[in-house]
Amino acid sequence: MSTTAPTRATTPRSRPRRPLRIGPVSTTYRLRDVLVPIAVLLVLVLAAAAGLGRGDYPISVLDVLGTLVGLGDETQRLIVFELRAPRIAVAVLVGVALGLSGALIQTFARNPLASPDILGVTGGAAIGAVSVIVLGGTGTTAAGLLGGIGVPAAALLGGMVVAFLVFGLAWRSGVDGYRLVLIGIALSAMAHAIVNYLLTRSAIWDAAAANVWITGSLNGRGWEQALPLALALLVLLPAALALSRVLGVLQFGDETARALGVRVALAQGIVVVVAVCLAAFAVSAAGPIQFVALVVPQIAVRLTGGSRPPLVTSALLGALLLVSSDLVARTALPESFPVGVITAIVGAPYLLWLLVRGRRRSTL
Amino acid sequence: MTVTEHRTSSATGVQQPPSVRLAAEGVRLAYGDKVVVDDLDLQLLDGSFTAIVGPNGCGKSTVLKALGRLLRPTSGTVLLDGRAIGATSTRDVAKVLGLLPQTPLAPEGLTVADLVARGRHPHQSWLRQWSSDDEAVVAEALSWTDMADLADSPVDALSGGQRQRAWISMALAQGTDLLLLDEPTTYLDLAHQVDVLELVGRLHAEKGRTVVVVLHDLNLAARYAKRLVAMKDGVLVASGTPEEVLTEQLLADVFELEARVVPDPVTGTPMVVPVRRLRG
Repeated sequence: MSTTAPTRATTPRSRPRRPLRIGPVSTTYRLRDVLVPIAVLLVLVLAAAAGLGRGDYPISVLDVLGTLVGLGDETQRLIVFELRAPRIAVAVLVGVALGLSGALIQTFARNPLASPDILGVTGGAAIGAVSVIVLGGTGTTAAGLLGGIGVPAAALLGGMVVAFLVFGLAWRSGVDGYRLVLIGIALSAMAHAIVNYLLTRSAIWDAAAANVWITGSLNGRGWEQALPLALALLVLLPAALALSRVLGVLQFGDETARALGVRVALAQGIVVVVAVCLAAFAVSAAGPIQFVALVVPQIAVRLTGGSRPPLVTSALLGALLLVSSDLVARTALPESFPVGVITAIVGAPYLLWLLVRGRRRSTL
Repeated sequence: MTVTEHRTSSATGVQQPPSVRLAAEGVRLAYGDKVVVDDLDLQLLDGSFTAIVGPNGCGKSTVLKALGRLLRPTSGTVLLDGRAIGATSTRDVAKVLGLLPQTPLAPEGLTVADLVARGRHPHQSWLRQWSSDDEAVVAEALSWTDMADLADSPVDALSGGQRQRAWISMALAQGTDLLLLDEPTTYLDLAHQVDVLELVGRLHAEKGRTVVVVLHDLNLAARYAKRLVAMKDGVLVASGTPEEVLTEQLLADVFELEARVVPDPVTGTPMVVPVRRLRG
């Protein structure tokens, strides 16, 4: 009676999920979903240790690890904890936030090209930050107001306003991912036009400072950038992980998700709010570091081999990409380069290699 | 108003099997300003197997969406077990009513086992994501739909017929006794259409599911469904057994088709032999 036999022998396989039950708690996992993030974490620790060791006063990776667990002499401790740790901490936190944000948005929009940049977060943040940098010193009332806010807060505000504008315009009793991406591209283009206008009206030194901010840089970043981001992640990270279960159903499309008992519009709203907040805080701390949120989830899904970008692996991989890019930016090049230049140079070839090698299509 | 009526009848009335599981009362459905279905009254009894048929654009898929709470009527009510479905939570509906959209979307790389496991979503919670019940139900659904061997294959690597089986398996794992299917045979060749409808027929006969299916093929609808509902231009034109509904007159009125209706040589159900299209 069954007529489904022919292709059975040739169909590819993947390993089954394993059940995990402890008392009333139960879930499933695949070994790769556990091993890949552990491996990424180990590489991240090594990269961070290398980053902490590099500089005018080099310290070996072993000594850095020793210092971190309480060994090491006074000088080493001073250099590691006081001088270099804040910058690495910002790199890790920004990477985690961007990786997570990208994974959430790509799963939600069912589009591997979706990222916080396309949702308007970057464009809006740039308007905020560049306004403060360019208009802050002009002595007008607007300048006084803007100067009082400061660049990070202005970037945070600008990013959220534009992103929620994009989301609001895309909303039609629920959000279609395709429509969201198109509206995001349009509003991002407008935002960048405004930024360019501001730049042409500005003094040359302000324009130079604004340009560095727009590229995204970890230079001069310290605990005052790390702290707000850490506090934001304290709320947003658990929120993102809690969304994992519903994301798995949302990716089937609105109708199937609703038929499976998900309140689709509400769930979509929460996913977007969490993703936008993650990206806006990251951008406010280090500027719009391009490409991390776009490329990291795609690399992560190819490493774990699931059906959607894994959240934990994306977060860790984002941190790894930023920390290692920062390491390259600070050591391989003659002068301290903005890290945003390096993330694309490091990330893009790796994604290309995965795309060329894999049999997976380039879509989600 | 209607809600209380139904409650009292089921609470006080003597057992009158079979009860009405799903009903539409004066339902009007519209996309924006465009009214697609108007003044629809429909009752689906417990344990029935109903096929909704009609020409393209007659509103049959729209009706199915409204019955499954995917589309809110602009007026009128859909009642699930006597309760207004709009006042029931999405999750509670998903525990009794399963629905497969016409071309459901499976993300690339998702395995059949993962897909079928998602059917358990309405029964799970954040802590209880994979109980031994879930595991048993999914294993049973996979083997019952003959998909156990393909459990670890990605859905996108399957043939059309296998993919449809995987989705039906998911609906089975959802464990709902009401099942709505929107053209489950689209894009399948005839052998796989028969295969899928055999499976749906077994769900009805062996598992006692109440099934509503939107179908294009009248002969297959008459063969597998126990009741037919015919629609034209958003209006319910006829409902009853296949013999009652599939008449030469109805085919002329609804499908603008001149046809002979003869007994199916295999099952004896009505079989449509088209002659020519009637032009009005």
